[in-house]
Amino acid sequence: MVEDRSIGGRLFAAFNFTLLAIIALITVLPFIHVVAGSFTTSAELAANKFVLIPKVWSLDAYKFIFSTNTIFKAMGVSIGVTLIGTMVSMLLTALMAYGLARRDLDGRNVVNFLVVFTMLFHGGMIPTFLVVKELGLIDSYWALILPSAISAFNMIILKNFFQNIPEGLEESAKIDGCTDFGILFKIVLPLSMPAIATISLFYAVTYWNNYMNAILYLDDSAKWPIQVLLRQIVVLASGMDHSATLDATNPPPDQTIKMAVIVVATIPILSVYPFMQKHFAKGAMLGSMKG
Amino acid sequence: MKKKSFSILLTALLTFSVMLSACSGGNNSSKEKNDPAPTTNGGDTTAVVVEPEAPTEIKIMLPLNTTDTPPDTIKIELEKLTNTKLTYQFFPADSYEEKLNTSFATGSLPQVTYLKNQATFVQMKESIKDGQFWEIGPYLSEFPNLSKLKPEILNNTKVDGKLYSLYIGRPLARQGIIYRKDWADKLGISAPANLDELYEMAKAFTEQDPDGNGQKDTIGVVDRNELYYGAFKTISAWFGTPNTWGEKDGQLAPEFTFSQYVDTMDFFKKLRDGGYMNQDFAATSKTDAVNMFTSGKAGLYIGGSMQDIDTLNKDLIKNYPDAVLDTHSMVAGPDGKFAQWMIPGYNNVALFPKSAVKDEAELKKILGFFDKMMTPEVANLMFWGIEGTHYTVVDGKAKPGDDKELIEREVKGYKDSVIGEAETNGMYQPYNILPGRIHAEELVLENVKVGVADPTAALDSATYVEKGVELQQIITDATYKYIYGQIDKAGFDKEVESWMSRGGAQIIEEYNAAK
Amino acid sequence: MQEVTAQPSSAPKLKLKKYKSNSELKKRVWRNKWLYVMLTPGVLYFIIFKYFPMYGLIISFQDYKPYQGILGSDWVGLKHFQRLFTEPDFLNILGNTLILFGLNILIYFPIPIILALMLNELRGTFFKRFFQTLVYIPHFLSWVIIVSISFVMVTMDGGIINELLSYFGFQKVNFLLSPGWFRPMYIIQVIWREAGWGTIIYLASIAAIDPGLYEAARMDGAGRMRQIWHITLPAIRGVIITLFILKIGSVLDLGFEHVYLLLNSMNREVAEIIDTYVYTAGMRQGKFSYSTAIGFFKSIIGLIMVMSVNKLSKKMGEDGVY
Repeated sequence: MVEDRSIGGRLFAAFNFTLLAIIALITVLPFIHVVAGSFTTSAELAANKFVLIPKVWSLDAYKFIFSTNTIFKAMGVSIGVTLIGTMVSMLLTALMAYGLARRDLDGRNVVNFLVVFTMLFHGGMIPTFLVVKELGLIDSYWALILPSAISAFNMIILKNFFQNIPEGLEESAKIDGCTDFGILFKIVLPLSMPAIATISLFYAVTYWNNYMNAILYLDDSAKWPIQVLLRQIVVLASGMDHSATLDATNPPPDQTIKMAVIVVATIPILSVYPFMQKHFAKGAMLGSMKG
Repeated sequence: MKKKSFSILLTALLTFSVMLSACSGGNNSSKEKNDPAPTTNGGDTTAVVVEPEAPTEIKIMLPLNTTDTPPDTIKIELEKLTNTKLTYQFFPADSYEEKLNTSFATGSLPQVTYLKNQATFVQMKESIKDGQFWEIGPYLSEFPNLSKLKPEILNNTKVDGKLYSLYIGRPLARQGIIYRKDWADKLGISAPANLDELYEMAKAFTEQDPDGNGQKDTIGVVDRNELYYGAFKTISAWFGTPNTWGEKDGQLAPEFTFSQYVDTMDFFKKLRDGGYMNQDFAATSKTDAVNMFTSGKAGLYIGGSMQDIDTLNKDLIKNYPDAVLDTHSMVAGPDGKFAQWMIPGYNNVALFPKSAVKDEAELKKILGFFDKMMTPEVANLMFWGIEGTHYTVVDGKAKPGDDKELIEREVKGYKDSVIGEAETNGMYQPYNILPGRIHAEELVLENVKVGVADPTAALDSATYVEKGVELQQIITDATYKYIYGQIDKAGFDKEVESWMSRGGAQIIEEYNAAK
Repeated sequence: MQEVTAQPSSAPKLKLKKYKSNSELKKRVWRNKWLYVMLTPGVLYFIIFKYFPMYGLIISFQDYKPYQGILGSDWVGLKHFQRLFTEPDFLNILGNTLILFGLNILIYFPIPIILALMLNELRGTFFKRFFQTLVYIPHFLSWVIIVSISFVMVTMDGGIINELLSYFGFQKVNFLLSPGWFRPMYIIQVIWREAGWGTIIYLASIAAIDPGLYEAARMDGAGRMRQIWHITLPAIRGVIITLFILKIGSVLDLGFEHVYLLLNSMNREVAEIIDTYVYTAGMRQGKFSYSTAIGFFKSIIGLIMVMSVNKLSKKMGEDGVY
């Protein structure tokens, strides 16, 4: 960003910085609590409810969750599904969004409307399950990807970004003999890196966080992604299941284990964002080409 | 066919990525050829042991109540003992109903389908009546062990007088008080013999600084956002309120129309107003309630299973090594009588869908598996694990091994699927060390002697099935509001009136007709 | 390029606009054939996974029984809708839903925009990225965690906030059980969890702005605020409007899990919303038809809202979402 060295500008910057620092602190404290909680004992967690820096350090929770390879396997599934799912989704979404972004395309408004319509009306779990079953996807990893391959929301946002690209660029590419596919892949996509990065992130997070598809479509628990385990542990440990009974045979897992699983299941996807951020600067290209 | 439609889809995708190479390409990052090995369920590859009879293949679906699906350790032993080839499909308990409903509606339930709890069983009743599941009553007598199942509990699980399910047994009345004996001793109080003494104990635990830290930072009772499995129902039984439904002038009437129910609300109101229980109990989850107890902030934990004392004790002594817990349940009502409410004796059932179990012969084979499950050998395996690895036998009782994590991982998942109870399937009783726990086991037996059953457990009401849950909400809300002082007796009566007019009156009618 | 869509195509009609001649249309379609090819997989996806299952909606006009199937169940007409509209609490529940929705639009919606602008004004790439990453973390904590952490903080039984209040001589506040505090708690938690995440999309569109524009503005002596007002905001207006319309479409989707976790007997009068009602009255009792009917009702309201807002935005010369 352009520097502004006037006194007003500096004051503004200082104020802005301070305010953001406070906001960042407030947002991050509970997460620090979760991380700290995962490194302490359940006794300390019970006694000192909002632990930020553990007095007693303990790795027991991590020892417990890493004592079998379940979590590694689940993590592998999650990473695989997220990577491949994001690629498939981005491909399908970009193709569709680009087609719909072109204002000279007949029928685009109808398709657009029909896409928005799906955001409002859902057939429900059972008919969708039947579709997945008929396609032979039960117990296949594709069942975690295909039923949510395109998000109407993401498609519309991406379409919006594409619409902002000056049409002149496309025209000149056409004159150079590129087909529409060529224009999309050689010109439009490289110019839309901030949008591509954003939408990829959205998809990646959706794939990472989804657990319902796995429960509905995967009968084989060996194929479950990490979110199913995470959810299971969090729900058990939080005692928030309203259909609770007075069952004594199943004491809930330790709070520390809950925290450790949250940390393990969250860090990989959290670390995606910083890598995406560098693409946010590339949007500058667009301006320079326009000029 | 499964494969075919899938490959069509894949081909479509691939064709598509080929088309991308227009305009010299080089830029396309489509990597979907790298698919994550779409595997179809190949089943297990356990070697088939040559035996006179081929092992029965059984697929079983059940809720997962542990952190993770157990490994095959127990399953392999189980298969050996019962000559079966088993596929256990565990699904997280939290979303089990969704899975159950979807599978049922699409005809994909496996041969053995465990439900989640009594509520899901009530939901299923309509489909059971419609004949979607095998009636097993007539076959039971052919199986020596299954016919040992308790008739009174089987009766509670019957639908229109016919038996369709096998039940997972639970003691009838495990609830009571778990309290800080060290605090009581220090203040010179003994276990409360009646409700007044209980109140006094809660008051003393709050006001007399039982932990001796010089601060008034303790409370008497800790309760949670549950009328049923929290303190309320247990104390209401002590007051003499009937269990959910009771007889009034020869007619069945809901518990909240009895004066004892109001007495119970008054008792709670007094406790809360005095500050002798946690102020936010209507919003406190079980974990938070347990936390208050194990962090030494509260002295009385009421309404949960007294067998929970082991878990509570384990966490409490981490914080307060000198703490001593005990259990208690014989609290007399205002009339000096004892009473305990009882559950219907089961917490879940297993059903056999006709869509998966094709004929009688198959059903009998499956029932044969459950018959074997009810032998001590198999029941112990599923409930306690492998002797020597997961538990040892001391004085004819099972003592869990020291490696709690191993038990949690390998055995716990199967525990909740054992049919029957120790009396009928002959599995070991637990070997207890903690005095409070030993006391609890005695009390559980005592409780039953003064137990009050829910007279509607085996009765049917169409209206209850239709909207019982939302109607109950009206009463639950009114009860809390009364305790918190937002409505008075007249306001409460108005809510009961509203319950009546929105369908409650019909429920009363239907239950009385079914009686 | 604007001419083609200049006349706002009010409600989408399933017939194409009239053209001078058919051959002109054919020619244009042929010229854009590759675009249609591009649309095909996406359209197929929506047909297979979204439109085909929509036959499931017909169970809202039936007494659906899982074993009778969607085609075999009895037809009951509008019975379930009638039940919903005659439910004594219906207006209260609808009102609660709309109020929470209003809070989402009025209070939550602008916050990510402001936050994104603030982040964008930060000097130095490091701080910019660092703060961005921090504020987006809460999105990854599930509602169960967030609600249980808030419980620990605000409970009257030793929660930090109430301890502080009483330390400074104030009365303890019953945040969890009073109807008055439910909405503030709800919206604060929504802001806390989603605001940082919501900035991403705005930051991406800010990144696409031509730096030359700022350069020129600075030459003209424009300060920070004026640059934001005259360059940044107009540049991201399109995204804001698109997101606004999409948000309006989710008018009655307020996050079931979140509200359900905050809901209790004491605050039900303000906290019961359509989604939580569906859960108690429908799902928990296996009432598929009733649940679907309520969902249908929600969808229709959403559709009306989206269509109106979309029309409005087109009137104002914006693109709209379709």
